[in-house]
Order: sequence, then C-alpha cells, then structure tokens
Amino acid sequence: MTSQIVQNVLAEAEKRKAKKVTEVHLVIGKLTFLGLEQVRFAYEVLTKSTIMEGSKLIIEEQEGAVKCGNCGYEGNFKYEDDPLYHVPVPTLKCPQCGNVVSIASGKECTIKTIKMLI
Amino acid sequence: MKKHHLLLIHSAKGLSKSLSSIKKEVVKAEEGEVFDVELAEDLLKANQRLAEENKQLLHSNGIKTIDIMGAIGSGKTSLIEKMVQQLKKNYRIAVFKGDLTTTIDAELIARHGVETIAINTGKECHLDANLVKKALMKIDLSSVDLLFIENVGNLICPAEFPLGSDRRVVVVSVTEGPYMVVKHPFIFMEADVVAINKMDLAEAMGADPKRLERDVKTINPKATVVTTNCRTGEGVGDVAKALGL
Repeated sequence: MTSQIVQNVLAEAEKRKAKKVTEVHLVIGKLTFLGLEQVRFAYEVLTKSTIMEGSKLIIEEQEGAVKCGNCGYEGNFKYEDDPLYHVPVPTLKCPQCGNVVSIASGKECTIKTIKMLI
Repeated sequence: MKKHHLLLIHSAKGLSKSLSSIKKEVVKAEEGEVFDVELAEDLLKANQRLAEENKQLLHSNGIKTIDIMGAIGSGKTSLIEKMVQQLKKNYRIAVFKGDLTTTIDAELIARHGVETIAINTGKECHLDANLVKKALMKIDLSSVDLLFIENVGNLICPAEFPLGSDRRVVVVSVTEGPYMVVKHPFIFMEADVVAINKMDLAEAMGADPKRLERDVKTINPKATVVTTNCRTGEGVGDVAKALGL
C-alpha cells in the first residue's frame, strides 16, 4: 500500500515537473490493516533516491464510524463484552435501535495533500 | 475528476529583511515555487471501483460469484473442492485460486473437472480486484454461471479488498483456538456465511463451536453460521444453501 502511495505521489509530481516533494499528508482509517509505524518505515525506504526523499510524512488517523439505515444513527460502533474472554468487540449492531449498521468511515487510505517544489 | 487547489507561495515575506538576505530569498524563490496540491485520492476506493466493474462484468454474463476467505490451513480449498463436487451437475463452475506461489491447490481443484485459474500474487498477502480482473480475461465468461474465488490465507487484509463477488464466505476452523473470531472482527463483518470447519476435530481440540458461532453473531448479526467437516463433506450442503445455490 505504501508503495502505491509513493507511486501516486511521484506521478503527481511528474505531472507538474516538480523538482522535489517536501510534504505528503495522508489520512488513514483506523479500521484498515495499515500500521502507521510500518507505513512510516516503508515510506522512508521507498522514497530513497527519489524526489520524495527527505519529505515530511504527516499521517492523520480517521476514526471508524458506522451509519444506521434504520434510525439514522451515525457514530462509533457498539462494543460488546464477551463474558468469558472479557474482550470488547466492535459489532454491526446500531447502539440506538439494534438494527444492522454499515461502516461509514475508517476504511480509507487517502492522499490528502502534497507539497512540492516546482 | 480530481479537484486541484494550487497555492503559489512566493517568498514575498523576505522583502522586509535586509538587502543581503533579500538577495538570498529572491534566489530561493526562483529556485522553487511551492505547490500545494489537494488530491483527496482514496487508494482503497480505487480497488472498490475495480471491484464494482468486475461485479458488473460478471452479472452481465449471468455469473454468480462467491469469494472464500479464511486463515491459512482453515479449509478454504477443501470447502471449494466439496462444493464443486456437489454443485457441478447443476452449474458450470470456474474457480480462481489465489496463492503467493505454486499451483498446487489449483491443480487439486482442477482434478474435479472445473476450469481453474491460479492467481499467484507473488508477495501480496491478499487478492485484489485488479488481479481478479486479469483472471476474468482468461476465461470464456459465456461458458460459466458460478465462480468461486479462493483468497490468500489471511484474516486481516482481504477484509479491505472487495473483489466484485456477490457473497463472501469466511472459513474458520476449530483448530485455530477460541479467540480467532474476536481477534479479527472486521473480516467477520464482511462475511455473509461463516463456515466453522474441521468439526471432526472439535472434541480433540476441546473446542466449543457454539461459542465461535456466538462470537460471529455478536459481531455480525446478519451472517449465517454453518458447521462443516470438509473432509467428509458434512455441512457443505448447508453452506451452499446459505449461499442460495
């Protein structure tokens, strides 16, 4: 995924014939499998010897949220605690009306802005 | 279309400083104008768009598609083998088998007389819509009405990458321990059907399939849970029924 991010930024920079990319602002959803430390590490490795080398990487975490088609609830998951394992698990139940919800945010990996020197 | 906001920032603030530094700053400004590009490009959405395209292509050819996910060794291939055996008299089946390397599993499935395409991801730990799109170009879509896609063994990443299927199945086996479902809620949220497999080993493992079922239903009330033994084929008919086959 980080490789795709780097490719996309380089493509944008190429379009504008940029000499250097100075900053990349990402928004990564909390529900994605992407580990921020791993993304940072991969970013450093993948940008070496490119015009992105040394650029500042800002990662904004997007909270996970659900939406209920029945009552209109929008917000955090309803968590349930298993009595035996004591593990709070997120569920697809609406905390307001109990119907099944859909995931509205937290699954994105977005390149928000790029700062570059032309 | 992407919206671009271009902000040209010249070092005009340098004008208030001394002459020598203005010279420096002017040189700097000539060297580089800073462009601030607003992209708002969601890379995961790109896969979702491709998945939708795949779905439309499959539907226009009258093909129903089932995507099978689960941990390594949970029984995905065995489930497909048994479903193929049971359903091939009623459907013209094709199978896409995702793996990092080798065609071992694809060959096992092909033995049942169905067209099987091995998708080797190389190093990616999950299939994506693009790989499925490529595989779709390798088969005669007009000669298929049921497609099974076996994802790479992984309970994490496939949840993020829809492939364009009509239904998603997650296979979890009693040999994986009692916490597998609660540890991976997001993939179970994607599942339409969950197969709790290797039931013949449940007693030996001291496993409680009812607990696993309850965990699934807590996380995802709309999933249908079926217990299976993909060695003998027990329960596979119920999986097929739950998938509308």
